[in-house]
Amino acid sequence: MVTTPDLDRDLNKRPPARSWGMVVDLDRCTGCQACVIACNAENYIPINEESHYHEGRVMSWIRVERYWEGEFPNVKARFIPLMCQHCENAPCEPVCPVYATYHNNEGLNVQVYNRCVGTRYCANNCPYHARSFNYWEPVWPEDLRHQLNPDVTVRSRGVMEKCTMCVQRIRRATRGRDNVPDGEFAPACVQACPTQTLTFGDLNDHSSRVYELSHDERNYTVLKSLGTAPNVTYLKKVED
Amino acid sequence: MALTRRQFLKWAGATGVGAVVFNGCSVPDEEIRVQSPLELPEDLVTGRDNYYATVSPADGEGLLVRVMEGRAKKVEGNPDYPVNAGKHGVRTEGLLQALYHPDRVKQPLTRIAPKVGPFRRMGWPEGLDALKATLEAAEPGSALIVTPPLRGAVAGVVRSFANAYGARVAAFEPLDQAPLRRAIADVFGQQALPDFDISRANYILSFGADFLGTWVAPTRFMRGYGEFRQGRRERGRLVQVETRMSPTAAVADEWVYVNPGTEGHLAMAMAYVIIEEGVPSGGTDRAYTGGGGLGQIADYRPGAVAGAVGLPAERIVELARAFADPSHAPALAIGGGSAGAYSNGAANLRAIYALNHLVGAANRPGGVVYNPAPEGEQVKALSLREWKEELARMRSGETKVALIKDANLLYGLPAELDAAGALRNVETVVSFSAFVDETAAAADTILPGHTPLEEWGSDAPNPGPGYRTVGYQQPVVRRFRDTMAFGDVLLQVGAQLGLEGLPGATMREVVRAEARASHETGRGSVRAPTFEEFWKRALERGGWWDTSVVARSTGPVRQVARSVAAPAFSGDARRYPFHLVPFEANALGAGQLAHVPWLQSMPDPMTTVAWSSWVELNPQTAKRMDLAQQDVVLVEAANGRFIRVPVYLNPATPPDVAAVPFGQGHTQFTSFAAGRGANPFDILAPSEERDTGALAWAGTRVRVTKTNRRAKLPSLEGPDPAVQLDDQPIIYIQRPNGGNGAAH
Repeated sequence: MVTTPDLDRDLNKRPPARSWGMVVDLDRCTGCQACVIACNAENYIPINEESHYHEGRVMSWIRVERYWEGEFPNVKARFIPLMCQHCENAPCEPVCPVYATYHNNEGLNVQVYNRCVGTRYCANNCPYHARSFNYWEPVWPEDLRHQLNPDVTVRSRGVMEKCTMCVQRIRRATRGRDNVPDGEFAPACVQACPTQTLTFGDLNDHSSRVYELSHDERNYTVLKSLGTAPNVTYLKKVED
Repeated sequence: MALTRRQFLKWAGATGVGAVVFNGCSVPDEEIRVQSPLELPEDLVTGRDNYYATVSPADGEGLLVRVMEGRAKKVEGNPDYPVNAGKHGVRTEGLLQALYHPDRVKQPLTRIAPKVGPFRRMGWPEGLDALKATLEAAEPGSALIVTPPLRGAVAGVVRSFANAYGARVAAFEPLDQAPLRRAIADVFGQQALPDFDISRANYILSFGADFLGTWVAPTRFMRGYGEFRQGRRERGRLVQVETRMSPTAAVADEWVYVNPGTEGHLAMAMAYVIIEEGVPSGGTDRAYTGGGGLGQIADYRPGAVAGAVGLPAERIVELARAFADPSHAPALAIGGGSAGAYSNGAANLRAIYALNHLVGAANRPGGVVYNPAPEGEQVKALSLREWKEELARMRSGETKVALIKDANLLYGLPAELDAAGALRNVETVVSFSAFVDETAAAADTILPGHTPLEEWGSDAPNPGPGYRTVGYQQPVVRRFRDTMAFGDVLLQVGAQLGLEGLPGATMREVVRAEARASHETGRGSVRAPTFEEFWKRALERGGWWDTSVVARSTGPVRQVARSVAAPAFSGDARRYPFHLVPFEANALGAGQLAHVPWLQSMPDPMTTVAWSSWVELNPQTAKRMDLAQQDVVLVEAANGRFIRVPVYLNPATPPDVAAVPFGQGHTQFTSFAAGRGANPFDILAPSEERDTGALAWAGTRVRVTKTNRRAKLPSLEGPDPAVQLDDQPIIYIQRPNGGNGAAH
């Protein structure tokens, strides 16, 4: 049994009944990638060099996928931003032999980097391909290190990483506060998104925007048949 | 007691269920056990951060920069700033990497001997003295200052320096917007680019303008687009007319392909139909007919232009009726991008923007919203025609001194013009760039400038949000390298030369003087009893804006769209069967951002390719040419110039189009950009738009030839274009007819 003072405090005090979640409205998305670069900057994702693309080892906590349908002139291209879905029944969690990935009491699927031993079982089991493995020691040119965010853990070679819903921002905003107004803060991707495709908030707060949107008639979850119960809800693209 | 196997299983099952049930009533032990006992940086809020407001003059966005311990950590949109309202585009975050770029010029450099040899380092006193001596020795008329288009304080400094010294000023913009500016002036009588009220429009018809990707002010337009789609009860409808499927075309309800250069013909034919069937209430046909009746544009009956445009006449009628349908009001027509980049570009855009007069969308909510004429100086780009004259002056030796700031002539002018050869004839070339791009590499001296997060400035965004707006740019961190702001160099050297009429001693002074004028109005977003208080609060908010200063319509509508000439292309259609459709890269622009590693590594939205160039070909066309994905081809223009690029089989590419992105193909410009991909400017014919002389960058024909090489494309989707799996789709579509499932 872990008995650090922090945990004792957390257990004695009823944890806040929050469940952080996101809604992605596909009818707003233009595939512009502002979310991707905002995430890269906030969480200092290593620069994806050309060779990483060739090897299929691109690291990205959020990516915009594009799918073709048909051929000219009857052709469509569709965009979908994909990130860790923070599943309630996360397939990545039970396969981790060292509890490096687990579900916390705020609805987040959390990665503890210093527990990770790099089995990559979690990535194998993630149907959303949301996890990135550090195949190399991340190397930043010396000058570029000045821009790195001190709030975020340095990850090293051999460690799995993925979207945290900018847990550092959650911690900053909620520390010592039981009530944080809806929309007061947001993960970097949500904050940047020019079309407001992404909405973030507490799904347990029934007055929140994210709760309202997650119950929109267009809602669905990606790969629902797998029963992963994601905390990320998508709203269907509209077509007439 | 004997325990049977069955009893054992019942007992075990019951206790198991009980354990689960009772366990659910408390904090699960499992969770206690797996919570990390360690505090990660995410849990430890360390240090104090400060947010400073500034602006990015290159794209007119207001920013907040998070700074910790003197280092900039994150760029975010300024929620107060009216243009982007807290959002930012994909390029904005690159400002951080420009600031801390490892390949920045770290101190002033000069050649060890004139025009030859490597650079040697020198200090600023030596550099400024040398610049002063050069300017003192030169005849004033022989000096040329070259910049990108400028607005705000630095534009005033450049203009006043040039006027006082007697130098010419020439701004360079690789993808010149002159046809757009001319069309806006002709059709609406406005000097500033208008805002487009996308969020309140009900129907948008866009010709050639990738306004949700790269065109003019995409962040602002995207913000409106989100509301246009889902921010209100009625979902807006978007129709995109374009020669390539851009991201805007991809998310449009309809993408209409027309033959390149015939966008204006389509607009004229639509106008013909609308006028014939009755101009909607509130609209006027004067822009087309001048009051002279439909006969004025009789040549543009749908049946007469259908062949040239490449659409059936019925389809043109259908598009016209949808645009003018009162139930679609307010409808908005936008034009730009490739539609303005042919020999007939300005006429195309006039015909397109005049559609707004037909439906009464000029200076109306949900339509084209005029902006007040920007205050202060501006430095507008020279046209290609004028650049040819400047290059001739360089070749003849008439231009003896060239001061060049961030204008990469050697990359962005068509290679056929041989800008490198012309620049070699200039006696002294001084670059003020923060990076060694192709033009800086040809300079004699580099006096490196600041990056945008290090310098003072101001910006009058163009387009603005519909009312007077001034953004203030302030250094959010101290200079990272031994650099000096371009404006400060001009002011300092100008003072040493004894020039009169300079607006201040430093850029900060100049910006403060501008702000004083805003303060004295006593109006606007920041009001304060004293100037110092105004200055502090205006810097905190990132600028000053006054919603009471708006533009007004300028008199009756003139006849500006009576005819549109056929487009002229460089290259014979039989020998050069493909239209070269170059396009601005989502992240790299026209090459000016290729040095930023983040932006290099961003996948292109349509092809998912990063770090590279490619040519998009139609899969059926490629099959006929025995070309496969990633085959390297020669794309060759009639001038004999060619580039080598791998093929991307794009199912949305029309059969006679070869689309190549701008952005790559640098020979210099840091280790992240040099030696990658191909530069379409290398093969473009230097043909001009008729009215403005701008580069007709979409007016070149090419042929495509197979080589025996293949090159692996670095793409997110892998070697083959991605399609959804039938049994596991991830994108769902809602259709009004009850269809509500996967996108199949």
